[in-house]
Amino acid sequence: MDARLANTWRLTLNEKNFIKTALLSEIRIDGRKPFEFRNISINFGREDGSAEVQLGQTRVMGIVTAKFVQPYRDRPNEGTLTIYPEFSPMADPSFEAGRSGESAVELGQIIDRGLRESRAVDTESLCIVAGKLVWAIRIDILILDNGGNLVDAANIAALAALMTFRTPECSLGGEDGQEVIIHPPEMRDPLPLILHHLPIAITFGFFIDENVVVIDPIHNEEAVMAGRMIATVNANGDICAIQKAGEGVSQRVIMQCLQLAITKAADITKQIKAAVEAYNSERALQKIKRETTCVGNSVKGDQNQTLDNKGISELVGKYMERLKLISVESYASKILMLRKSNH
Amino acid sequence: MEVDREDGRSQNQLRPLACSRNILHRAHGSASWSQGDTKVLAAVYGPKAGTKKNENPEKACIEVIWKPKTGQIGKPEKEYEMILKRTLESVCILTVNPNTTTSIIVQVVNDDGALLPSAINAACMALVDAGIPMKHLAVAICCCVAKSGYVILDPTKLEEQKMKAFAYLVFPNSVHSVLPEGSLRVEGEPIENGIITSVTHGIMSVDDYFYCLERGRAASVKLSDFLRRNLQQQSTDSSKAG
Repeated sequence: MDARLANTWRLTLNEKNFIKTALLSEIRIDGRKPFEFRNISINFGREDGSAEVQLGQTRVMGIVTAKFVQPYRDRPNEGTLTIYPEFSPMADPSFEAGRSGESAVELGQIIDRGLRESRAVDTESLCIVAGKLVWAIRIDILILDNGGNLVDAANIAALAALMTFRTPECSLGGEDGQEVIIHPPEMRDPLPLILHHLPIAITFGFFIDENVVVIDPIHNEEAVMAGRMIATVNANGDICAIQKAGEGVSQRVIMQCLQLAITKAADITKQIKAAVEAYNSERALQKIKRETTCVGNSVKGDQNQTLDNKGISELVGKYMERLKLISVESYASKILMLRKSNH
Repeated sequence: MEVDREDGRSQNQLRPLACSRNILHRAHGSASWSQGDTKVLAAVYGPKAGTKKNENPEKACIEVIWKPKTGQIGKPEKEYEMILKRTLESVCILTVNPNTTTSIIVQVVNDDGALLPSAINAACMALVDAGIPMKHLAVAICCCVAKSGYVILDPTKLEEQKMKAFAYLVFPNSVHSVLPEGSLRVEGEPIENGIITSVTHGIMSVDDYFYCLERGRAASVKLSDFLRRNLQQQSTDSSKAG
């Protein structure tokens, strides 16, 4: 039943011809110029490591989580990074729940190549005990609305989420120096990940006439285009990955596209960094507010406490208790796990 | 008995509610619902032709897909899907479009307690946005019973974990109608005194449960008002645009 229902959205021949003819005169159906990117807006969620990116009508969410694993045998000093793309059925009537199609796998592979093989994320800093314990970073990419060009939006979401993600600080200690102590966030600040550079994916669409190239295609244009190239570049001018499919295109056009990609990547990198800066400064402000209430409470005596101070101290006490609840459980389970693996 | 809750709310106070409709462009109907830090996104596609194999083709069929924030789909997600499906089947008018399927996709954006009630509220708003015919709305709320016996509404995740028992309750919303008073009553009671769904976790005494129902019903009146205001405001906005 699902396969039949998936065919419900199809462009008519008239619409397809309209898009192609308009492109020959460099007119796109949403009014953009051929090499104009849509507006990007980046928003962050409540927890560290969650970002939502809106690229025109396309909406993608990136969520980063981490846990302890044993490292691979051939790379005992490096952590791991895995990407899980989820093409939610809410994004497009043709996306099925459960098994993801080949475009989901392709999206995951492109982002993976951009982040891991270009060494954008420093995996050696994710090692805690060489050969035994490393951080495994998991990036979930949730596609909420398919307005075209999912790869670019998903890439930006993954980068924004990675830049705002924090791992708790760990150190070695204990009797034999082999126990791992995880410091709860109120004692030591959690650490950000080390990113050497930001690989940005830029998608180009090629149409039947060789000279017709557009950047950032919308879903109507994607249904009509004959070929596609996704260039992952960074603001330094390095090409991290290129993926091309569809009709053959001349070398001159490819070189033009790569030049353009590097310029666009610089703009997008600036935008991502500005959004992350704003989020970090807001987060720092919130932390300062919490700490001033702590300090205020300890200075006052405990006999003549006004209702306000008592209320604040109770709130702070409960906040500490809450953090302890979360961190003590994870601390205890991690110690147990490490002791078991040692025996 | 005054109870100190972590965020300073009183026993019967709900977290700040926020709701917006028509946020996705491809879906036929969509809504985002947040209660404090819990945020849920719902999208509706439908009605589509055909029903699934074991469903009755003389009625419309509702399909629910629950997507957690991270991780794979397991048994808790399947349970939520089933509860949502049964709740929404009793709220929608299934005889208007027979032999069709309406899909509702729920995405958890953040879970800070009272997840299933938020999802039910979001799904109802998304159905309204899609224009699916319904008898009335479903208004969902979560009530917890603590070890010392007091009842609090709309817990956060930490509060849920510390409580002895909690219940998710779904009531029909209050009806404003032009029909004469008596015709909308079911067996002499107004519709909003009924209960559509109730899911409990943990042990609670019968008295505690009835107390929860009472408190939940009172809160559902407030929620219905919020929904009504939200829907009316957005419908006048869209008429200005059109």
